[in-house]
Amino acid sequence: MKKILYLFLLPAFLNAQNTPDGADILRKVDKNMISKTSISTSQMVVHGRRGSRTITSKSYQKGEVNSFSEYLSPAREKGTKMLKLDDRLWIYSPSTDRTIQLSGHMLRQSVMGSDLSYEDMMEDRKLEEVYNAKVVGEDTIGGRKTWVLELSAKVDDATYEKRKEWIDKERYIPLKEELFAKSGELLKRVLLSDVEKIDGRWYPKKMNYKDMLKDGEGTDFIVDEITFDTDIPDYIFNKASLKQ
Amino acid sequence: MTANSKISTRSEPPRGAITRLAFHLAYKNLMGAGLRTWLSVGILSFVFVLIIFYQGYVEGFYQNSIDENIAWEYGGGQLLYKDYDPYDAFTLQDGHGKIPATDTKDLVPILIRQASIYPQGRLMPVLVKGIEVAQNTVKLPTQLLQQSSAEYPVIIGKRMAASVNLKKGDQVMLRWRDKNGSFDAGNVTIAGIFDTDVPNVDIGQIWMPLKKLWAMTDMKGQATLFIANNNYEQKNLPKWKFKTQDELLTGIRALEKMDKITGVIIYLVLLAIAMLAVFDTQVLSIFRRQQEIGTYISLGMTRKQVLGLFTAEGCMHSILGVLVGFIYGVPIFIYFTRQGIGTPAAVDNLGISAGKRIFPDFSPELIIGTAVLIIVSTTIVSFLPARKIAKMNPVDALKGKLQ
Amino acid sequence: MIRFLLKGIARDKNRSLIPIIIITIGVALTVLLSGFIYGMMGDMVDQNARFETGHVKIMTRAYARDKDQLPNDLALLGVDTLVRSLHKEFPDMQWAERIRFGGLLDVPDAEGNTRAQGPASGMAVDLLSKNSEEIERLNMKSSLVSGAIPKKSGEALIGDDFAKKLNLKIGDTFTFIGSTMNGSMAFQNFKISGTIRFGSAALDKGSIIVDISDAQLMLDMPNGAGEVLGYFKDGVYDDEKAQKVTEQFNAQYAKNTDEFAPVMQRLKEQNNLAGYLDYVDSFTALFVGIFVFAMSIVLWNTGLLGGLRRYQEFGIRLALGEEKGHIYRSLIYEAIIIGIVGSIAGTLLGLGGCYYLQTHGINIGQYMSNSTMLMPSVIRAKITPYLFYVGFIPGLFAMVFGNMLSGIGIYKRETATLFKELEV
Repeated sequence: MKKILYLFLLPAFLNAQNTPDGADILRKVDKNMISKTSISTSQMVVHGRRGSRTITSKSYQKGEVNSFSEYLSPAREKGTKMLKLDDRLWIYSPSTDRTIQLSGHMLRQSVMGSDLSYEDMMEDRKLEEVYNAKVVGEDTIGGRKTWVLELSAKVDDATYEKRKEWIDKERYIPLKEELFAKSGELLKRVLLSDVEKIDGRWYPKKMNYKDMLKDGEGTDFIVDEITFDTDIPDYIFNKASLKQ
Repeated sequence: MTANSKISTRSEPPRGAITRLAFHLAYKNLMGAGLRTWLSVGILSFVFVLIIFYQGYVEGFYQNSIDENIAWEYGGGQLLYKDYDPYDAFTLQDGHGKIPATDTKDLVPILIRQASIYPQGRLMPVLVKGIEVAQNTVKLPTQLLQQSSAEYPVIIGKRMAASVNLKKGDQVMLRWRDKNGSFDAGNVTIAGIFDTDVPNVDIGQIWMPLKKLWAMTDMKGQATLFIANNNYEQKNLPKWKFKTQDELLTGIRALEKMDKITGVIIYLVLLAIAMLAVFDTQVLSIFRRQQEIGTYISLGMTRKQVLGLFTAEGCMHSILGVLVGFIYGVPIFIYFTRQGIGTPAAVDNLGISAGKRIFPDFSPELIIGTAVLIIVSTTIVSFLPARKIAKMNPVDALKGKLQ
Repeated sequence: MIRFLLKGIARDKNRSLIPIIIITIGVALTVLLSGFIYGMMGDMVDQNARFETGHVKIMTRAYARDKDQLPNDLALLGVDTLVRSLHKEFPDMQWAERIRFGGLLDVPDAEGNTRAQGPASGMAVDLLSKNSEEIERLNMKSSLVSGAIPKKSGEALIGDDFAKKLNLKIGDTFTFIGSTMNGSMAFQNFKISGTIRFGSAALDKGSIIVDISDAQLMLDMPNGAGEVLGYFKDGVYDDEKAQKVTEQFNAQYAKNTDEFAPVMQRLKEQNNLAGYLDYVDSFTALFVGIFVFAMSIVLWNTGLLGGLRRYQEFGIRLALGEEKGHIYRSLIYEAIIIGIVGSIAGTLLGLGGCYYLQTHGINIGQYMSNSTMLMPSVIRAKITPYLFYVGFIPGLFAMVFGNMLSGIGIYKRETATLFKELEV
């Protein structure tokens, strides 16, 4: 009798070995992607109808909810700063010396002409907090073996009700993400690449973000430099620092 | 000669006889003047017909506009959520609420949400308006929504259809958010395209079944506004404000007033010219007919009576003018009342609801009023130069020696 | 001979003053009403031309396709070269660069925090260059409710109702937030130099007007413009001319497949104006025709009257042996002189009235204070070249015609009966 039981359990056990629990994978991904603090310089390449444009910025991030970034180039964006505390977002423009909180439909505008909206940028919760995950298959992306996960929202205010993630089996880094509407329509696609080990964690240094309903090539985000878990003084995450 | 016999019986003839005589003479004189009379009469009849035509056209234009706005948009008034301002898109996000079912009798609920459509890979912001499909308060063809078997049936106006290049049966991607802000998207199917004179229910918006929109946005029972039918009895509902049909129509009524004022300016100038013609004719005839005037006075008419005669003559121009105006005006009026007058498409861009054909409204009040206006002003103008008669020396007049 | 006639006219008030007064009044009314009808009927077309369509308009092909969305990312670049070549190619036209943009107007409180916000639509035109025609073209001086037109960079005009809604005064500063040509967020502070009312609710309730160089800077459109509008120098839209200009311009780019190549559209092709223009033309012609006809009859009467008044004079002149033909001709010459004098005086008077109504208009705003629709609350007349001669039709021709008819009587008179008629 016991033997028979084992026979039944064995495949399940083996299976569990091979295909880990979705939530577990998400946890590991979150651990890789979200650090206590990070300081990075990065460029954003916006592909427009009349050619591409590169914008560089330096960003400070603390926890999941606080971030501060300052644009470095091109000249006319230099000195523009953005501060996000929880669910509020301020933007500071040096030319007008005004700090303005973005709200309502302003948040739906695109960030610097990219396929990303301020609202998309505000999304800060851990995947694990928002979604239930289920492994639905395996795939190979850019030569790397991945788990394919289907995520469905467990909270009712998720921006995207469903997501599909391709997670590197070894490094626990998403290599591709698809974001869906409630109806199942594909809205956004993110491709992540150039994964490097930085400060002991794997991190994708390049990301292409595309609004699938619009024509175009999407927007590239390239991290030039990033450090994790360095101390960032608290005054940075304060409205006063915008004007400095 | 008869003149002698009249002098010998120099007693006051009865008043009525003189008036009749005056009119008779006036008529004979007018007819005698021939072409010149008919020219003045022609101008007066022209002015008469033109004034009626213009005012009737404006009346018809706005009556149509008012009717159409009521039929498509305003119904018997609208009940708006207190925070919703139709002229401020910012208020759409939170400007909606719920009304207990017991209070929604005779009301058609509409929920308005902001969303985006993606015709040909371009993003275009639209308003999605959910409307109760089982309604007949407004002319929107909501039965098409009811009949459609598509998952997301929508109806759009012809202007919207033209601007996004969609036709009946086409699908287009719509992206919206539910009440929590979660994105949702789906292909909506054009179940019908309606042709309305009211751009307000057409441009930049799509209409779908309210229950569908409730389900899509998870906002069951919510409405931004209600359109009342004519049986609706206004109740005091906290958080809602009722706008009566009249309040909603103030804009159109103001426009109508503007056009009528413009019309008044034009026809007053036109009338002034016609009056100039009458005045001129009067001056001419008094000058030319001094001897006649002298004769009348010698024959025993008082100066007042002669003045009356000439005034009546002038006035008769306008009566003839009105009559002539009737003769050719009425068929024109009837023709246009039946056939209507085409309006150019650009009027559409003004934000006014203009019908493709305007059926002018020539009311009896308008016609009678215009006739009275012309007759009275002509009489006054005829009287002015005739006053000279009162100062005439009959002997000089008889000799024709006045200058 | 003419000198003699002029003396006669000047000395005999019956011969001169009354007909001249009547002609003057009649011609003045004709001119004024024609101008008024032109102004009223053409108002919408004109408003469109001045604010939106120009007489011709140049955009990129891509911009033209989506022009309702004001897609500044598809705007024209290298505009100065374009405009220079336009000046060379079409020397009798004026060119105006415009940018239209949308965004948010944010008003700070004393601490610099947001006190009020409202969606705004902006129009950038050339306000600052010395010989800018735009201020006049957009009728800004008379539309100004308070303050002044911007004199330096960083100043803006704001719709009067908009200013009231946001509680803004002259001298206050607001921040405009929009998006640049590249889609970045655009921020710019403007100081309010004046408030303006064009009489259309859409403009007055949510618009700002800034200088084009400020907008180019703010929207990151160096040497760029959404639209280049072309105007005929006389300010009047002539569809045939516009069509020629458009064909000539577009032919240069016929082989260019770039979606950002410029394309020119004439007024009639834009905003469904074609039908309206035809309508305006026929309506105006009808009104003016009726008017001229009516006026002609009046002045014909005047001519007749003049001839009749001088029945005796002609009798004496005939008796003295003057030839009938000579009298008749002198009568016609006199009529011509009187007609010309009256027509000129009347045209001047009428044009003066038109000019007044063109600059001041008839304000009917008080009758429609509650209206929220786009419409002009001031009715204006419009001076067109046509007005300079339309008055001569009734003034000169009708007068002369009237005299010719009445003068025929001269030939019917017989010397034998003259003395009896004259009772001398």
